[in-house]
Amino acid sequence: MKKNQILIAMAMVVSSFYACTSDNTVTVDTTNNGTFKVYTVGNVTSVQNLIADTIVGMSMQGQPVGTGHFTFFNLRTGSIVPNADSATSNWDVAFRGTTILTNAGTSGPGAGGAYVHVGLFADVNAFNADSTVRTDAAPVYAIKTGSNKGWYVYDGANNLITPIPGRVLMIQAANSAKYKLEINNYYKGGVTPLTSATDAIKLSTQRYYNFRYSAL
Amino acid sequence: MKRIKYHLLIITILAFANLAKAQQARLSKPTDSAAHSLKTYHINEETVITATRSERKLSNVAIPTKIITQKSIKQIGAMRLSDVLQEQSGLFLTAGFGTGVQMQGLNPDYTLIMINGEPLVGRTSGVLDLNRLAIGNIKKIEIVKGPSSSLYGSEAMAGVINIITDQSQKNKVEASVRYGTYNTKDINLNTTFSKGKFTFAHFLNNYQSDGFSIRPYSVERTVAPIWRLTNQFHAAYQATAKTKIELDLRYAYEHIQNQIAVTNNGIITYSTGNEYHQDVNLNPVITHLFSSKLKSTLRLYATNYNADQSLNTSGNSIYDDKLNHQFLRAENQTDYYLNDKVCFNAGVGMVQEGVKSNRYELNSTRRTNNIAYVFAQTEIKPVEKLTIIAGFRYDNNQLFAAAFSPKIAAMLKANDHLKFNASIGRGFKAPDFRQLYLNFTNTAAGGYSVFGALEAQKQIEFLQSIGQISSIESDYYRLKELHPEYATGINLGLQYNPSAAVQFDFSLFRNDVENLIDTRLVAYHKSGAQIFSYLNLKNAYTQGVETQLNVKITPQIAVAVGYQYLLTADKDQIKEIKAGKIYTIDASGFARLMRLDEYIGLPNRSKHMANFKFTYENENYFTNLRILFRSKWAVSDKDGNGLYNTNDAFANAFAQINFAAGKQFSKQFRAQIGCDNIGNYVDIANLPNLAGRTFYTTLTYQFNQKNK
Repeated sequence: MKKNQILIAMAMVVSSFYACTSDNTVTVDTTNNGTFKVYTVGNVTSVQNLIADTIVGMSMQGQPVGTGHFTFFNLRTGSIVPNADSATSNWDVAFRGTTILTNAGTSGPGAGGAYVHVGLFADVNAFNADSTVRTDAAPVYAIKTGSNKGWYVYDGANNLITPIPGRVLMIQAANSAKYKLEINNYYKGGVTPLTSATDAIKLSTQRYYNFRYSAL
Repeated sequence: MKRIKYHLLIITILAFANLAKAQQARLSKPTDSAAHSLKTYHINEETVITATRSERKLSNVAIPTKIITQKSIKQIGAMRLSDVLQEQSGLFLTAGFGTGVQMQGLNPDYTLIMINGEPLVGRTSGVLDLNRLAIGNIKKIEIVKGPSSSLYGSEAMAGVINIITDQSQKNKVEASVRYGTYNTKDINLNTTFSKGKFTFAHFLNNYQSDGFSIRPYSVERTVAPIWRLTNQFHAAYQATAKTKIELDLRYAYEHIQNQIAVTNNGIITYSTGNEYHQDVNLNPVITHLFSSKLKSTLRLYATNYNADQSLNTSGNSIYDDKLNHQFLRAENQTDYYLNDKVCFNAGVGMVQEGVKSNRYELNSTRRTNNIAYVFAQTEIKPVEKLTIIAGFRYDNNQLFAAAFSPKIAAMLKANDHLKFNASIGRGFKAPDFRQLYLNFTNTAAGGYSVFGALEAQKQIEFLQSIGQISSIESDYYRLKELHPEYATGINLGLQYNPSAAVQFDFSLFRNDVENLIDTRLVAYHKSGAQIFSYLNLKNAYTQGVETQLNVKITPQIAVAVGYQYLLTADKDQIKEIKAGKIYTIDASGFARLMRLDEYIGLPNRSKHMANFKFTYENENYFTNLRILFRSKWAVSDKDGNGLYNTNDAFANAFAQINFAAGKQFSKQFRAQIGCDNIGNYVDIANLPNLAGRTFYTTLTYQFNQKNK
C-alpha cells in the first residue's frame, strides 16, 4: 500500500518534471495550501480551493446555509467570472454547495450542457456518441444533485461529502467547446476531515472544490 | 463398548428429563429406571435442548452447541445478556439501535433470541437489544451456530441463542446487590420453592445507571441514564405422574432519558429524549407422557413489546414514535422414541403476529401476518459411532412467500477422544413489518420517504395521480412480493479431547446468503426528495474458522483461548470489481481502478477476533482475568465508491481486559469485586457503548431451607 503510494508520488514527480522541462517553463508549485489556485501542467488544468458559497451560518431549522450565490468559472480561460456576468456566456460551470450548473437552459444563455461519464479521466477523450448532453432545467440539472446521483456521495452518518471515484463530468462550455472534468475533493486544502472531526470543522472546511479538467 | 450402549440408552430417555426429574424428586416411582439413570447422568454431564428441540447430552448432539453456565455468568460479573455474549468466541456485539450480536459474521437481524425456547420480539432496524435481558435467574445460555430454521423458522438464519431460566426446586431466597462506577446499581432477588406437586420461582431485577459520557465537554451521554426492571415468574404443577403444567410470565420495563445540547450561532438549545420499552411474555406449557416412548408438548405463547421514543426541544415535541409488536403462537410438538437407534420429533404451529406503529399509514390499525408451520426431524444411529439428524420446516406465510428449511447433520465418534461433525442447512428471515408496511416521510431531514414493499406502489400511484411525483426510477418496476432472505450454511467441525483436562474444538463455517433485502431509490417527489422502498437484491457470503481450546492446568487453574477468523463479501460487488466497474482513489484523490485484493467485504466485521480467559478457583475463592481482542474493522466508505476497501476508514484494533474475584464467606454469604476494561480503552466514534475503566462490588446472601 505504502509502496504504491510512494510509486505514484514518484511517478507524479517524474511526470511533472518531464512536463516542465518539455515546456521549458518555470516549475509549477502544485502544493495545496488551502487557497484558490489554478495551474496547468501539459493539457491538464488543476483548480484548488474554488470556494462554492461557504457556510455562513445556520438556518432556524439548524441547516447550514451560505449566501446563496454561485461561483462562476470559465474553463476556457481558467478563471473565476464575476457574479455580474452570470447572465452572459462568459462562464461555463458554476458551483454552489454540491450543485453544479452548466451554461444553458434555466441556468444561462450559453450553449452548454453536461453528462456524467463512468470511467477514468485519462481514458475518456471524446464525448460519447450514445450519451445525451443534458441541459439544466431547474430543479433538475444536467449534473444531477443528490447523494450518489451525480458526482458525489453524502455520508449522512458522518456528515461528509465524497466525490465518487470514476465519475468524469463531460462538460459542454457556453461556446459548445467540450471538456472533461474530475473532482477530487470538496474540502479546503483538498483534505476531507476525519469522520471523528467536529461538525464545526466539517462545516467550515467544506465547499472548497478541488478538480482538474482538460479540453477535448 | 458397553459404556457406549449405556449412553445410547440414556439418550433415548433424555427427552423426558423434565418429567423424569420431577418424578425422581418426588420419588413417586422409585423403580423407574429412567429416573435413576438420569440421576447419575445429571451429575455427570450437561444437557442441551436448543440444537434438537429435545434434551440431549452435550457430547452426543450432532449439532455443536455451546453452553454458558450460570457459574461462568456469575463469575464474570455480568448483568445483562450483552455482558455475557461479548466474551464468547466468534460473537461480536454491535452498537446502533441497541446492542446486537453478530454471529458467523451475519448481522443481528439473523440471530434468533429465545427465552426457554420462545422467541423475543421488538426489534429496531432488525436489532433486538440484548440489554433488555437481565440474566440474574439464568441457569444457562445455549448457543447454536449455523442455520436452525429447520426447527425454529424465521430469524434463525445465523443461529440461535436460547436463554434457559433456573427452575430449580430448592427452597431458597437469594438476594444480591451490586454497585459500580457511573452509579450503577443492580439488585437481584431470586426465590424458588416447591411444595408437593407445585414448583414456584420468582425473579426480580432492578437496574439503574447514570450512564456515561466518553465525549468530553458534552452534556449528552453516550450511554444515557437508564432504569430497567424485570419481573419473572415460573410455576409448575405436576398434575399426574405423566402430565406437567408450567406457566412462565415475564414483564420487563426500561426507561432511558438523554439530555442533548445543540449549539447554533452561539445559542444552546436543550432537548430531552425519552425512550420507554415494555415487554410482556406469557407462556403456558402442558407436557404429557403418553407412554415411555411418546411425549407430546403443547406450548402457548403470547408476547407484546411496546416502545415509545420521543424528543422534546424547548417544550416542543419534535417527534414521538410509537411501536407495538404482538406475537401469539400455539404449537404442539410430539417426540416419539421408536428404539435406541431411531427417534422422531414433529410439530405443528400457528403464529399470529402484528405491529402497530405511527410510521405506518394508519397508526391505529395493527398490521398482521398469519403463519402456519410444520416441522419434522428424525435422529438415527445406523451404527454406534454415527448419529444422523435430518429435518425440515415449512412456514406458510399470509403476507409473503413461503419458506422451506431443510437441515441434515451428522456426527461421527472416531474414538473416545475424537469426534467429527458436519451439517448443512437452510435458514431464512422473513421480511419484517417495517419492510412491508413502512410509510415514513422524514420532514425533519429533507422530506425523503421510505415505503414498505406492500405500500410503495399504492402510495406512489396515489402521489402520481395528484401530480406529486417528478420521476420514477427503474427499480420501481422491479417492486414485487418480497421473499424471505435465505442462507445456506455449512459447518464442519472436530472436537478433540486427549484427556479430561484438555478440550480442543475446531470448526469451519460458510454461509451463502441470497435475496438480502435492501433499500433502493424508486422515485422522486416533486420537491426532488427521494422515495425509497425494499427489494430482494443482494447476495453475500460469510466464511471462517472458529477454534476453542480449554485446558485445566491443575484442578484449580484453567485457561481458555478462543479465536475466529472471518471473511465476508457481497457477491455482486465482487462481480462488479472483476468487471472493472469499481474505482477508488490514488494519493492525489483522483480515480483509479480498484483491485480485487483491496476489497474488504462487509463493513463492521473484524477478520480476527480472539479471547483469552484465565481462571483460578478453589472451594470458596475464585479469580479470573479475561482478554478480548478484535482486529480493525471498516467503518465508513472514505473513497465514496460504495463498497469497503483498504482505502476506507477503519476502527483501530483493540484489546479489552476484564478482571473479577469472589469469595464465599459462609454458606449464605459471598462477595465479588471486579474491574472491566482495565486498560481504559475508549473509542468515542466507533465503540460508543464501551465505557472506560469501571469497578464494581457485588454482595450476595442466600437463605436456604431444606425441601420438605
